[in-house]
Amino acid sequence: MSCNETAHIVAARFDDSLSPRQRRLLDEHVAACAECRDALADTQASAAQLRQWQEVPVPQWQRVPEGLREKQRASRPRFSFWTQWLPLATACMLALAVVLNVQVQIGGNGVQMAFGGSTQAQDISAQLAQFEQEQRTAQQQAMQQLAVQLEERQTTANLRLMETMVEQFGESTTRSMEQVLAYFEAQRQEDLQLLESSYQRLADSDFQTIRSVQQLANYVQYQGGQLQ
Amino acid sequence: MSLTDQDEALISAALEGSARAWERLVRRYEGRVYNFALRMTGNETEALDLMQEVFLGVYRNLQRFRGDSQFTTWLFRIAHNKAVDMNRRKYLLTPLASLGGAEQTEDEVLEQLHDETQEQNPLTLLDTEQRNAGVMKLLNRLSWDQRLVVELKVFQSCTFEEIAEMQDISANTAKTRFYTAMKLLKTQMEQTHVV
Ligand SMILES: [Zn+2]
Repeated sequence: MSCNETAHIVAARFDDSLSPRQRRLLDEHVAACAECRDALADTQASAAQLRQWQEVPVPQWQRVPEGLREKQRASRPRFSFWTQWLPLATACMLALAVVLNVQVQIGGNGVQMAFGGSTQAQDISAQLAQFEQEQRTAQQQAMQQLAVQLEERQTTANLRLMETMVEQFGESTTRSMEQVLAYFEAQRQEDLQLLESSYQRLADSDFQTIRSVQQLANYVQYQGGQLQ
Repeated sequence: MSLTDQDEALISAALEGSARAWERLVRRYEGRVYNFALRMTGNETEALDLMQEVFLGVYRNLQRFRGDSQFTTWLFRIAHNKAVDMNRRKYLLTPLASLGGAEQTEDEVLEQLHDETQEQNPLTLLDTEQRNAGVMKLLNRLSWDQRLVVELKVFQSCTFEEIAEMQDISANTAKTRFYTAMKLLKTQMEQTHVV
């Protein structure tokens, strides 16, 4: 006995889009036709053998074609906002510190921060100058660690932001933008919190680098100058 | 947001000049294309060449992608054409006597695949090598056209209509070609006691 349908029957078994009715007809034929049953068993064994293939990782290669790299260079300013995220967040935080009248006190225990005091930026800088005198042997480490930590965070934050933006694209522009903004706000809050806790760590540490503290003072002075 | 929508978002961003969107799109499918290329060419260097040609083709034609088919279907149509081109070039450049794809020994296949799997965990390395070499050995028994049909059906889950369109044949011919190839593989497996 020879069946003319075997190639079609086999092909149909490898078709994921069969309707329930087509599937039933297929099953009926296979139940009645030994040739197709054998053919199906054979082809499924072959397919199973082929599916033993294990994914081989892709070697490193140049993914972005030259043409697009040039385009990207030409349009770099569009993206500078994201790469400037950390400086922006820092500036916001410091500006906020001035606006909220954050009081930084430097005593024997290092730098301390309080809200709502009356110390002006000028006083902070005077105190910092004093601190500089007192802490000649201060270490740079804490501040450097903070810088590294923030830099790493900036990278992951940007990646996550990009990812979210891409994933939210296209549903509806308005909704997407709202979500992106909400995400942006969440990121900003996280960064501010991190900055705050970093200040706290700075305050808890006895030895701070003069240069780093001086930089902070410059920031505060700069922002103060802008706002006053 | 579905995969298809994400693809389309990445494509429009790439068309507007975003290298990051392009890179994400590429990273999403490079594994599939690279492994396709490995199975079609049987060696790492050619597979890498083929994969690069495929994505360059995708990049150059990106504005022609209409979104009326899935991106993967479109991608593998390009991959299919590039593989055919490469095979044709290889055939033209290689003296007939040394066209020994089907005569390749298991050791040669193993050797070729060795480099590609080196970076993986040593414990799984041998297993992966052996499995892939076994698959390559089987695929090497098929004609080029059969190999393409099997690849597109078994690994890429294309429909027979899509395969027929790519190969410029009827869907019926694609089905017969597939069945013939799979039967041949089964015979091969029995001979080499793979099962
Ligand atoms: Zn039958």
